[in-house]
Amino acid sequence: MSKLLNKKRITYGIVIIVLLIVCIILNITKPSEETMMSQCSPEIQKQLEAEKDSVRKTVTVTYNSLGIINYCSFSTTSKNSANAMRERFVGFAGKVYPANEGAAKITGQMVNYTYRMLGCGENVFHGAKLTILLTTLTVFFGFIISIFLALGKISKNFIISKVCSAYIFFFRGTPLLIQMFVVYFAIPGIFGFAWKDLFAMSDVEAVYMGAFLAALISFSLNCAAYCAEIVRAAIQSIDKGQAEAGKALGLTYGQTMRKIIIPQSVRRMIPPVCNEFIMILKDASLVFAISLMDITTISKVIMTNELSYLVFIPALIIYLIITAFFTYLFNKIEAKFSVYE
Amino acid sequence: MDNYEYILRTEHVSKSFGKLEVLKDVNLSVKKGEVMCIIGPSGAGKSTYLRSLNQLETITGGKIFIKDELFLHRENDKTIERIDPVKQKEMLLEMGMVFQRFNLFPHLTVLDNVTLAPINVRKMDKEEARIIALDLLRRVGLSDKADEYPSRLSGGQQQRVAIARALAMQPEIMLFDEPTSALDPELVGEVLTVMKELANDGMTMLCVTHEMGFAREVADQVLFMSDGIITEMAPPDVIFDNPKNPRTQSFLKSILES
Repeated sequence: MSKLLNKKRITYGIVIIVLLIVCIILNITKPSEETMMSQCSPEIQKQLEAEKDSVRKTVTVTYNSLGIINYCSFSTTSKNSANAMRERFVGFAGKVYPANEGAAKITGQMVNYTYRMLGCGENVFHGAKLTILLTTLTVFFGFIISIFLALGKISKNFIISKVCSAYIFFFRGTPLLIQMFVVYFAIPGIFGFAWKDLFAMSDVEAVYMGAFLAALISFSLNCAAYCAEIVRAAIQSIDKGQAEAGKALGLTYGQTMRKIIIPQSVRRMIPPVCNEFIMILKDASLVFAISLMDITTISKVIMTNELSYLVFIPALIIYLIITAFFTYLFNKIEAKFSVYE
Repeated sequence: MDNYEYILRTEHVSKSFGKLEVLKDVNLSVKKGEVMCIIGPSGAGKSTYLRSLNQLETITGGKIFIKDELFLHRENDKTIERIDPVKQKEMLLEMGMVFQRFNLFPHLTVLDNVTLAPINVRKMDKEEARIIALDLLRRVGLSDKADEYPSRLSGGQQQRVAIARALAMQPEIMLFDEPTSALDPELVGEVLTVMKELANDGMTMLCVTHEMGFAREVADQVLFMSDGIITEMAPPDVIFDNPKNPRTQSFLKSILES
């Protein structure tokens, strides 16, 4: 059995190494930025030369590089839309292909959309980077808060128990979007500060930072309420005899929880927390409402601006890759916690 | 501290779950080194009595003394005399408990199961705790299983680990709550052997059991409990051969016939 497993593992290893080598070769052989930029037609070249030093530009140049493939486009804006020119090129495996029609055009668009949705060339508060960062931090902080909430809810102290139950009731019973609005708009309004003023940076970055912080706070508080129920159920699913044995040995309540109950319940929490993680990954698109752009929001913008429905293909693939990666990670963690079974 | 008469004494212990009165009036005095076996029909309150000694159940009324010092005094479900909690906890550690279902910690190795409480409660040095634990595991015949997880052990082995775990806290009294009831018949013997050795070493033991052979061989006194009171208490040969109480007679008859 283990021999078979080993063989499988070696096969996977070889496939991954081959894919890596192919990617590296493609990366090395792809056309450079200069080659891509020099592809445009003489008319556009002339216009580019002419307005090199002017502030107003009529030619928009886009250059996207995605590891193994390049894309660039040149488009002119003119008052007479009939005169507008648009030229696209795809660079792949040492060659540059014109991408104004057919399969090459679709490939070019895909590269461009993927590039934008991943948030390449932008700071961390864009696209997939934002989605992943917000989701992981949310689950991290939410989970930590939820342990205290869960212990509070099962506490014998009437007041603590009621307060925690009320917290969970409130955050599960109201929409996340409104919670985010409250944190982003209402709280600064009441206390007289602005989220962006908390950061000593350039204005644009401070706005992004502030919005991200507000999103993270509201998401974490919300996630904590959901995770608290997961944690509570996991703790209560541990056999009562475990706590009794701890008590009989003279361990305090805190020691029993820390050393006996929680380590055992963590394993049972992992699958539902993974589920919660995936839910938050998708809920992260709500941040569009406070001026942040995640994968979903960017794909919607692209669709409305360029009337291209193809944009959803890379969007779905990006989501699937993220989900697959984190599911794999959670399975690994679960296996690590299951050694004793 | 050793000039006490009874290591454990209870007076008028009662316990009710709502309207159900499980223990009515249990009086018992145990001297150091005595082995007491508690027998009786199910629902008689044997386990509840043992568990309330160890504070796993809170008694409704009565007094518990440990080494002649008051440990707990409650009437009508209210504590009458408050004992200093630190001292109370110290007294609680005089009792070790072995459960019917072992209750080993499945996420810890056998060795960690045994050392957990000495390190965290007695604040014992890790290396010292390990040496003591290995010695105890050797005593119960499991020194080769120290690094296994409990799920890899048989029921009998698990129960022996549980005994070692309780002994690691160096208690003066061991409480056994039907230690062999969850075991396959062929595994009962190994656990009873360990318990017999323990009794021969002079440990004070209170043992709820259905193993009449064990009670007859090891016990100094056998208590017959029914309906929440101790109805008969006598040395084993008296109680098994010559029971006075009709409840005891019918119980033993039904046990020995089956």
